Amino acid sequence: MKSNRYIISGVAVWLIQLLLADLLAIKTVRPDFLAILILYWAIKYGRLHGTVSGFLIGILIDLSGTASFFGLSPLLYSITGYLSGNLKGAYSKLSPFYFSLAWVGILGLQFFIFCIVQYQDILYIDPRLFWMKWLGTTLYTFCFAGILQVIYPFHRLEPC
Amino acid sequence: MRNLYLAIVKNRDHVIFIFALLFSSYILLNNDNPRMGVIRGKSAEIVAFISSPMTWVKSLLFLEEENHLLREKNVVLSLQVESMLNLQKENDQLQTMLDFKHQTTLLLQPAHVVNKGIQPNLLSIIIDVGTDDNVHPNQPVLTSKGIIGKTIETGKNASIVQLISDVNYRLSVRILPSGATGILRWLGDNQAQIREVQKNVDISIGDKIITSGFSDIYPAGLPVGQVAGVYDERGSFQKILHATLPNDMSAFQYVFVVIENSNEIE
Repeated sequence: MKSNRYIISGVAVWLIQLLLADLLAIKTVRPDFLAILILYWAIKYGRLHGTVSGFLIGILIDLSGTASFFGLSPLLYSITGYLSGNLKGAYSKLSPFYFSLAWVGILGLQFFIFCIVQYQDILYIDPRLFWMKWLGTTLYTFCFAGILQVIYPFHRLEPC
Repeated sequence: MRNLYLAIVKNRDHVIFIFALLFSSYILLNNDNPRMGVIRGKSAEIVAFISSPMTWVKSLLFLEEENHLLREKNVVLSLQVESMLNLQKENDQLQTMLDFKHQTTLLLQPAHVVNKGIQPNLLSIIIDVGTDDNVHPNQPVLTSKGIIGKTIETGKNASIVQLISDVNYRLSVRILPSGATGILRWLGDNQAQIREVQKNVDISIGDKIITSGFSDIYPAGLPVGQVAGVYDERGSFQKILHATLPNDMSAFQYVFVVIENSNEIE
């Protein structure tokens, strides 16, 4: 029953990302709902679930029409899942500021690795443009993660 | 052995993480594997099928506006065709006088963009044509304005297109009227950079950029963009050009795949 809920929510967010994220695009930048989902899952269920779900969702993303660097998404989302899994039950141990800083840093790191690989040329040609691209991609997803924090904050997740 | 097993079970989080990293790296390093291509082609078909209702709704939403624009464009193109027919007649006469025969035929397959990928940045699209429509990997994809990418994986009725905005994308181009050639790479926001251009050629802002024809993929003469800036690289024998690309990468719904071309020059 629990695994059914797990699969249904995963497929639902994947469909939202596949079909609706383009409607929210600003130029070529879109929010990454799947990264937010992995963050939630990993904080609730821990490192193991975070890594496995990150890897599987990464594979699903790359199979949904990625042109080059097939395999980059499972790598990135596994890292996100593993790192955010360390935040399971950490809200009571850390101060809210450090807890927020941790998940913001994890998402920032994920997009940084993504941009380093995808925009390696731009980093060499125009570093300022590269940092703007990273900031744009990261901030747009942060906006949605922030909105979700108001609706359903991480600290309300009960560790399983 | 038992101790090893117990250590793995105890540290299964870390073991699974390392396994995930290694397996992802393995896939990343085996992108060109043909078996991987088959899986990606099949998955593109599934994504195209899932995306088709949404694409249909989107096209209905924009139908009236698109119809209006097409009517306007039709009038403009009719006028252009009229003047081009006269120019072609004149060109034929001049070619006959020079005993020169130049023929270029491009066979285009129209396609609908069914999905624009899932990654946080737009780097690829899925179109609704595949091997059933004679579309194969490494065929140029363009809009009426110019080149936007090439097909990289094809299924029966869907194909993945690598966009010009992908980091692995390079295009051999020629700048007109000087005839200089260079290698184009995307920079962002409809801007591109052209390197490997000889320093001694005369290039001005606004010069037209077309495909050079040096590549096995792109026939010569396909529109690419316009020169937006010319810079001399110090200590180098090359110029660096900045180019404006005409396509808005976030706003096209229909594309054409060049499925056949033949250049015959005598």
